[in-house]
Amino acid sequence: MLAHLRKEERSLLQYITAFLAVGIMILYLGKPELTQIYELSLSSGTKLPFWWFVVFLSVGTMAGFYLVSIYWKLLGFRCDPFLMPLTAALTSLGLIFLFRLRPQYAERQFAWLLIGLLVLVIVTTVLRKMDRLADYKYIYVAVGVILLIIPIFFGQEQYGARSWLNLGIFQIQPSEFVKILLVLFLASFLAENQRILTTGNNQLFGISIPGIREIGPLVGMWGISLLILVFQRDLGTALIYFCTFLAMIYAATARLFYVLLGLLMFLIGGTFAYHIFSHVQARVDIWLNPWIYMEGSGYQIIQSLFALGSGGLFGSGLGEGLPNLIPAVHTDFIFSAIVEELGLLGGCAVLVLYMCFIFRGLMIALACKDDFFALVTAGLTVLMGFQTFIIIAGVIKLLPMTGVTLPFISYGGSSLIANFVILGIILNISHEVNGGNDTEH
Amino acid sequence: MIQNIKKLGYFLLFTFVTLILYLTYLVMVEGDTLATHPQNRRIAVKEAGIIRGTIYDRVGTKLAETKWLGQRGERVYLKEGKDTPFAHITGYVSDRYGSFGLEASYSKELLGLTEADVLENVLDKILNRTPQGNDLVLTLDAVLQRTALKALAGRRGAVVALNPRTGEILALASSPTFDANKIDQPGVWQQLNQDAENAPLLNRATQGAYPPGSVIKVVTGAGILSQNILQPQATVQCPGYAVIDGQRIKDNKAHGSVDFIKAIALSCNAYFALEGSKLGWGKFEEVFNQFGLNEKPEIGIPVRPGTIAQKDRRNQSQLAESAFGQGDTLLSPLHMALACSAVANRGIIMKPFLVKEIRKPDGSPVKITESTPWLTATTPQVAEQIAQGMTAAVNWGTASSASIRGIEVAGKTGTAEIQSATETAVLPHAWFIGYAPAKDPQIAVAVIVEKSGAGGRIAAPVAREVMAVALMRDER
Repeated sequence: MLAHLRKEERSLLQYITAFLAVGIMILYLGKPELTQIYELSLSSGTKLPFWWFVVFLSVGTMAGFYLVSIYWKLLGFRCDPFLMPLTAALTSLGLIFLFRLRPQYAERQFAWLLIGLLVLVIVTTVLRKMDRLADYKYIYVAVGVILLIIPIFFGQEQYGARSWLNLGIFQIQPSEFVKILLVLFLASFLAENQRILTTGNNQLFGISIPGIREIGPLVGMWGISLLILVFQRDLGTALIYFCTFLAMIYAATARLFYVLLGLLMFLIGGTFAYHIFSHVQARVDIWLNPWIYMEGSGYQIIQSLFALGSGGLFGSGLGEGLPNLIPAVHTDFIFSAIVEELGLLGGCAVLVLYMCFIFRGLMIALACKDDFFALVTAGLTVLMGFQTFIIIAGVIKLLPMTGVTLPFISYGGSSLIANFVILGIILNISHEVNGGNDTEH
Repeated sequence: MIQNIKKLGYFLLFTFVTLILYLTYLVMVEGDTLATHPQNRRIAVKEAGIIRGTIYDRVGTKLAETKWLGQRGERVYLKEGKDTPFAHITGYVSDRYGSFGLEASYSKELLGLTEADVLENVLDKILNRTPQGNDLVLTLDAVLQRTALKALAGRRGAVVALNPRTGEILALASSPTFDANKIDQPGVWQQLNQDAENAPLLNRATQGAYPPGSVIKVVTGAGILSQNILQPQATVQCPGYAVIDGQRIKDNKAHGSVDFIKAIALSCNAYFALEGSKLGWGKFEEVFNQFGLNEKPEIGIPVRPGTIAQKDRRNQSQLAESAFGQGDTLLSPLHMALACSAVANRGIIMKPFLVKEIRKPDGSPVKITESTPWLTATTPQVAEQIAQGMTAAVNWGTASSASIRGIEVAGKTGTAEIQSATETAVLPHAWFIGYAPAKDPQIAVAVIVEKSGAGGRIAAPVAREVMAVALMRDER
C-alpha cells in the first residue's frame, strides 16, 4: 500500500494537469487580444509570442509538481499522497485566475511557485527529522518578535497595512512566516506543559488554573504579537494568530475555559480597538452597511458583492465575467472573481478543496503518536483553515473585511512560500506517521 | 488529545459549512438584486454589445427602443411635446447615472441575460450574431397616458388608472415629467435634481406621499360597516362640526341627518369623525392594511407604502381626523386607485402589474403575467354599500363633475388641507377616485392635483376625461 503512495499522487496530478491546461487554453482561445506579443515583466525588454508564455506557464507548473513527486519517490519519502495534488489544484486555479485577471501577476506567481517548490524540496529533505524542532522554542519567540518588529521601523505600507519589507527586487511580508514560528512555539510549549495546563495547580473562584510560569509565556507571546499587529494595522493576520492560538490551546488541554476566556478577552479587546483605532472602526462600519460608503471605502466590498451576485449558480464562464471591476481582485478578492466566473458551484468546489486539505491534515495529526507532532500538524492545518475562512467570510460580507491572502490561490510571494513551508512540515510529519525511513513494517 | 483535535475538525467543518450556506444565500437569494443593481456596471459594460429589447405598450406602441448604430445602440424613448410621457415607468439607462425604472428592474430580461436565454447566447456567440434582448409588453395604454398628462395640463400631480377586474395598470402618469432621451446631456441631470419645487424625477403616482383627504372615507366606511359600528341606514346628526375627546372638529357645512350613502355622497366629515373614531386605532389600522395601503406591490418600479400616524401620536382626535383623511396619513395615488378597485371589484383587489408579457425578439412569449387576486379588502356586501355611496356622489353629490353622459360613474372626491411652513394660504390637494361603468367596472382611477383646490372641481374632471377615453377605446 505504502509503496503506491507516489503513484497515486502522480495519477492525481494528471487530472490537475488537464484542469490547468484546459483552463489556460479556454482563456487563451477566448481572448483575441492575447494573441499579441507579450512583454515579460520579470526581465524587461524580452518579448515573447503570447502562446509561448501560455505553454511555459502550464507545462512549467505541472513539470514542477511532477519532478517533486519523482524526487520523493527516489528518496523513499512516504508522505501523504493527497496533500500535494490538493495544493497543485489550488495553485493551478490561482494561476488560471491570475492569468485571466493580470497576466503579469501570473508570471510572477509562477516564478514564486518555482521557488516555493524548491523550498518544499528543501524542507522535505533537510527538516526530515522533525523531533529536534521541539527544542528551539525560545528561538522561535525571539525570531518571531524580531520579524514582527522590523516592519514597524523599516516597513512599507500597502493596502493600509504596514507589514511589508522592501528588499530591493521584491517585497516580503514577515508576518506570513511568523505564523509558522507561532505554531512551532505553541506546539512545543504545549506539548511540554500539557498536563499542568490541563489540570492546573492553583484555584481561582473554584476554577483550577495553572501558575504564572506555565501560562506566562503563552500570554506574553500572544500579547506581543497582537500589539505588534495592531501597530502594523494588519487585522486579518492578528485574527488568524488569535484563532490558531485558541485552537491549539484547546487541542492540547480540552479546556473550554481557555477558549471562553480568550473570547472574552477578544470581545474586550475588540470593543477597545473599535473605539481607539479609526481603521478598525471604519472596517466594522463598512461591514455593517457598505452601501452608505458606496463611492468611497465601501466600494471594494460592494464591487465584490456585485461580482458574487452576477455569477449565479453556474457563473458567467471563464473569461466571460468582469471581475476586474473589483479593486485588488488578484489578492484579497480573488475568490469573488472565481465565483463570478465559475458560479456558486465553482466557489463551493474551492471550499471543498480546502476542506479536503484540512481533513487530510487533521487525519495526519490524529495518527501522530507524538504530542508535539500532533500539535504542529493540527496547528498548521487549522491555521490554513482559519485563514481561508477569514478571507472568504470577508469578501462575502459574512465578517468584516480583513486583508489576508487566500492560501495558494491569491497572488503573493511571501504567502505562497510560507504555505509551501507549512505543506512541507505537514508532509514530513505524515512521512513519520507512515513509518519514516524504516524499510520494513 | 485525539478527541480535541476531532472536535476542532468539527468546528472547522461547521465554519466552512457556514461559508457555503451564506454564499448560497447571497448568490441564490440576493443574487438577482446584486446582478441588476443600478450601480453594478457589468450590465452597462455588457450592454455595449447587446441590442436591448423594445418596450411596447399594450397595443404595440414603442415606448423605448434601441436604434443600433454599428457597434453601439442608442436608446430612444417615445416623446410627446418636450417630454417622454413614460419616463417614470420605463426609466432610463445611462453610463453615468446608472439605470432606473423598468430599464433597471428588467435589465436582465431586456438584455437577454436570464437563465432562459443561455442557449440563445451560446448560439449567438458561435454564429457571431449580435445578441438581442427580450421585449417587454406593458399593460399601459399610450393613448390613456397621453390623455392623463394632457388633463393634468402641466400641473403637479398624478393619475393612476387600472382595470379593477385584472389588476392591469392602464395609465400611470406623473406630472411634471422629464425627457429620458436627454439624461446624459450636459447639465440636464443636475438641473432635474436641483428642481426641488417640481421634483420632475419623482414618480408621484407610486412614490408620492399625500394626505388622502376625503377619498380615504371609502376605506374608513368599509371599517365602520364591517365592524357593525352602525347600520348603513342608521343616521347621525351633523351640526357642521363634531366633538371628539373635547375637541371641536369643523365640517364644511351642516349636513343635518346623515346616513351612510349620504355621508359618502356629500362627504360629511362629522359622520366619519364620529363613527370612525369608534373603530379604535387597532381596527382602523386593520382596515387600512386590508385595503393594501401599507403594501409595497412589486410592479417593477419603486412604490412608497402608505403610512398612518406613528404609535406615539395615536390619540382619539388624531384618529377622528385620520378617519376622514386629515391627520398624519400619507398615501400614493396608486394606493388609492387600488382601494377604489376594491370597491369596484366586490371587495377583492387584484394584484397590480405593469409588465404583461416578456417576448423573444421573434415574438414568441417567454413569460405572460396572469391576473391573480391579491387582497380581500372587504366583503361584497360592504363593497356594494360603498359603491352605492360613490354612485350617489356622482349623481347628486360632490363628485358630479365626473359624470359622463350615458354612463353611470361612481366616484369620491377629496380635498386635502395641507399646512406649509413656507407658504401662506396654500390651496389644498385635489383628489378624486372613481370607476366606470358603475354596474360593470372597466376602469378605476385615482387623480391628485397638488395645491390646486377642491377635488370635485379640479380632480374629478381629469378623472372623467381619462375614464371617458378609456371606455370609448373599449367600445371601438
